[in-house]
Amino acid sequence: MCALKVLIAPTDNEEAMTSKIAPNATPNRQSLQNAVDYHLEVTLAKTSQSAEPEDYHLALALALREPVIRAMNATEARVRQAGAKQVHYLSMEFLIGRLLANNLRNLGLYDTCAEVAADMGMSLADVLETECDPALGNGGLGRLAACFLDSLASLSYPGYGYGINYQFGLFRQTFMNGFQREQPDNWAVHGTPWHIERREQSSMIPIYGRLEGDLDFDGQYNPHWLDWNSLIGVPADIPVVGYGGKCVNFLRLYTARAPAEFDMAIFNDGDYLRAMERQVAVETVSKVLYPSDSAEAGRELRFIQEYFFVACAMRDIFRRHHAAGHRLEDFGRYNAIQLNDTHPALAVVELMRTLVDEQSVSWDAAWEITRQTMAYTNHTLLPEALERWPAVMFERVLPRHLEIVYEINRRFLSEVAIRHPGDDARLQRMSIVQEQPDKQIRMAHLAIVGSHSVNGVAQMHSELVKSQLVPDFYDLWPGRFNNKTNGVTPRRWLLNCNHRLAALISEALGSGWIADLSQLIRLEPLAADAAFRLAFRNVKLQNKADLARRTRAVTGVTVDANSMFDVQIKRIHEYKRQLLNALHIMHLYCRITEDGCPLPTPKTFIFSGKAAPGYVLAKLIIKLINNIARVVNADSRANQSLRVVFYPDYKVSVAELIVPAADLSEQISTAGYEASGTGNMKLAMNGALTIGTLDGANVEIARDVGSDNIYIFGLTAQQVIERRLLGNAAREVYEANPHVRRVITRLTDGTFSSEDRNLFVPIVNALLDQGDFYMHLSDFADYAQKHELATRDFCDVENWSARAIVNVARSAHFSSDRTIREYAREIWDLQQVV
Amino acid sequence: MLLEDVPEGDCLVVSLREKRLDAVIAASFKEALVQRIEQGQRNIVLDMSEVSFMDSSGLGAVVSVMKHLGHKGRLHICGVTPGVMAVLKLTRMDRVLKTFASRQAAIAA
Repeated sequence: MCALKVLIAPTDNEEAMTSKIAPNATPNRQSLQNAVDYHLEVTLAKTSQSAEPEDYHLALALALREPVIRAMNATEARVRQAGAKQVHYLSMEFLIGRLLANNLRNLGLYDTCAEVAADMGMSLADVLETECDPALGNGGLGRLAACFLDSLASLSYPGYGYGINYQFGLFRQTFMNGFQREQPDNWAVHGTPWHIERREQSSMIPIYGRLEGDLDFDGQYNPHWLDWNSLIGVPADIPVVGYGGKCVNFLRLYTARAPAEFDMAIFNDGDYLRAMERQVAVETVSKVLYPSDSAEAGRELRFIQEYFFVACAMRDIFRRHHAAGHRLEDFGRYNAIQLNDTHPALAVVELMRTLVDEQSVSWDAAWEITRQTMAYTNHTLLPEALERWPAVMFERVLPRHLEIVYEINRRFLSEVAIRHPGDDARLQRMSIVQEQPDKQIRMAHLAIVGSHSVNGVAQMHSELVKSQLVPDFYDLWPGRFNNKTNGVTPRRWLLNCNHRLAALISEALGSGWIADLSQLIRLEPLAADAAFRLAFRNVKLQNKADLARRTRAVTGVTVDANSMFDVQIKRIHEYKRQLLNALHIMHLYCRITEDGCPLPTPKTFIFSGKAAPGYVLAKLIIKLINNIARVVNADSRANQSLRVVFYPDYKVSVAELIVPAADLSEQISTAGYEASGTGNMKLAMNGALTIGTLDGANVEIARDVGSDNIYIFGLTAQQVIERRLLGNAAREVYEANPHVRRVITRLTDGTFSSEDRNLFVPIVNALLDQGDFYMHLSDFADYAQKHELATRDFCDVENWSARAIVNVARSAHFSSDRTIREYAREIWDLQQVV
Repeated sequence: MLLEDVPEGDCLVVSLREKRLDAVIAASFKEALVQRIEQGQRNIVLDMSEVSFMDSSGLGAVVSVMKHLGHKGRLHICGVTPGVMAVLKLTRMDRVLKTFASRQAAIAA
């Protein structure tokens, strides 16, 4: 990585070479060709004979770095000159995906580059395929952050991401005998051409230590933070190229390093190994991305990670604020900080500490600045996913910060007590500090108290936040709560991943839709145009053929591109109900092989997703799906009309392959559990019809595409709550529904587990004996019925195509451009800088 | 570690001629200053103008020296660079340690 960095700063001799792109010039075919030649020959020391596609990828990326960095510098200068307010998006995860193709699209250089590659005897697609996929996130939350950065830049908003430069991203998933195996994902082992290391802007971050109380010059109590250890946060920027290439923002990711001359005293004593052990321990902080849903998530390292990147970000924001010449009291006027979930909630405390301790601002003034600056996005209704940190650990790692938390809480509870005198139960519910059974710090409460805005990520979710998650806070501050329905960037999720459909749309509408997705509504009349429907179908068929080829290459399973592609791609979790999908496939298999009822049309069920390494039941569901695939695909009675594929190692690039090929989109979470979902938006935007529950953003998709163009089934969130109150409804369903009974029987009769009949007993127990918490069986019949309807409907190709086109045409609401405009207007008070 | 002593009236100005006050030299720095106090020096001006980095160990050494003097004398610090001041502010020690913009001011105070 370092070697690449050096190459970007040319020597005088290099400046003189004609191969480089002229400053401030948009690269054309010739200049791009020259730059690629230059980097191949000089930077990478390769000849056209010895260069591999990986080398071309690197040379091309390096050639693009130059105009991208110039545009980034120009953007920064414009923002500085405008004295504009900036937003800083703090997120533990940025699932950015591959960058080269996206950057080429946004720069408008994709076709030029394809020509350059062709001139060199290469296929651009092959070159792009060699790029590693930075897996710096678990799923939706991280991908949302990446979509937001794209929209901020594309809309010319001064907005920047702050996060951690994990050495190992989320694990690489493989299957061994159908079981998930986790391998390390050392994504940047060969370096990445997009990182710009900013060593000179490193920050020293103290952790651990103790407080010693004393009086200061004015006789006031003055706690000193002593005996801390140091981490050094070294930033590296990844340019974020907005559509059109004019605005280039950055994502700043921090690596933890040991201080220079770290523990030299130990080293000098000759204990080299001990010195190195401590160095490794420090650098572990940015080593690994924690999987979500993990029991390990309570560990101290995760807490330190959260503080580390928040503290680095805060120092950087202050540095830039001062460098811009702004006054301290105007901090909130020029800076907005968005907390992506509670992971960065320590920013509330760090900002208070910085203002009060380092800048000598009074508590009241500091609190006003903090609340003016901070805004919090809630992403989950799952109680177990709401972060709480043990006070004992908090104090050990951040003693001064815990003191500040206690003071924030004391003042906050006084405010509540005045509003609700004598209501001790309310105080306990709302306190930032949970006292029983162990003292813990509730990070969601801290984030809410310290922010001027609290938003959910879909209309339904935002209502549930207010009514179920934190009703006391809503009662106290109703004006603070709002909704910002998530969105996805149409650049990556339509223009780049589905270039055939993008071309078809542009042919019909022009290319204005890429920056203004509301224009897609003009496609709707074309749903009645037979020629357009045919063209649309051909696009889908080609995308499916691409996926079929890759599926065969990766999994060995042959699938028919003419079959109905039914897709469920997301993290594996009980609430997302891949198990419901699997049970239904077992049901179809039984219908074909035992009841002699063929499907109206062939179906291919495609799964992709990872289970957290410690989530035993989710991993067993993966095994079940793989076993179903093995049985179904090998059974000649069924495999002409039914195929099942589990595409391994789900990540952004895999999603970009599967999304354009989907006919039916499975969004089947238990109602009330999915905050929003964004896969549902990507798939609808690419012309898949949704089968789903009234959950998360499905509700808004249903509203926009219309009830005729979506398959809604299952219990509502309210019905789920009511059903639970009735006790174990699953057992009743089991007794009453013979199809359900048969499927449950097949789970343990060896049909899908010939190696061990007891393998799936834990699943049966969860469904029947433990009350089927996520309502698989209660929703089964309706799900199967809607599936049957969808499958029949798919046979009417003309009508299906028309409805798919309507889904695309009405997807404008789900552009992250719309979401970002709402954040900018209603939360950040942010202006575009053009 | 290089320390340079310059008597100024009843003060002893001690200049730390190092770029870093960290774990490598913290113990010997503290020992050297305590030795001067034990020898009867009560008014010490510590000139840190060459120190651009101070870590927790370095800060601990300065705090120890200050405590060793207690109410018997005074420790004034001058030449505080931005890097050192950042650490003092971070730990709130800027409200306990007396810092001065110049050597003359530190002596005169």
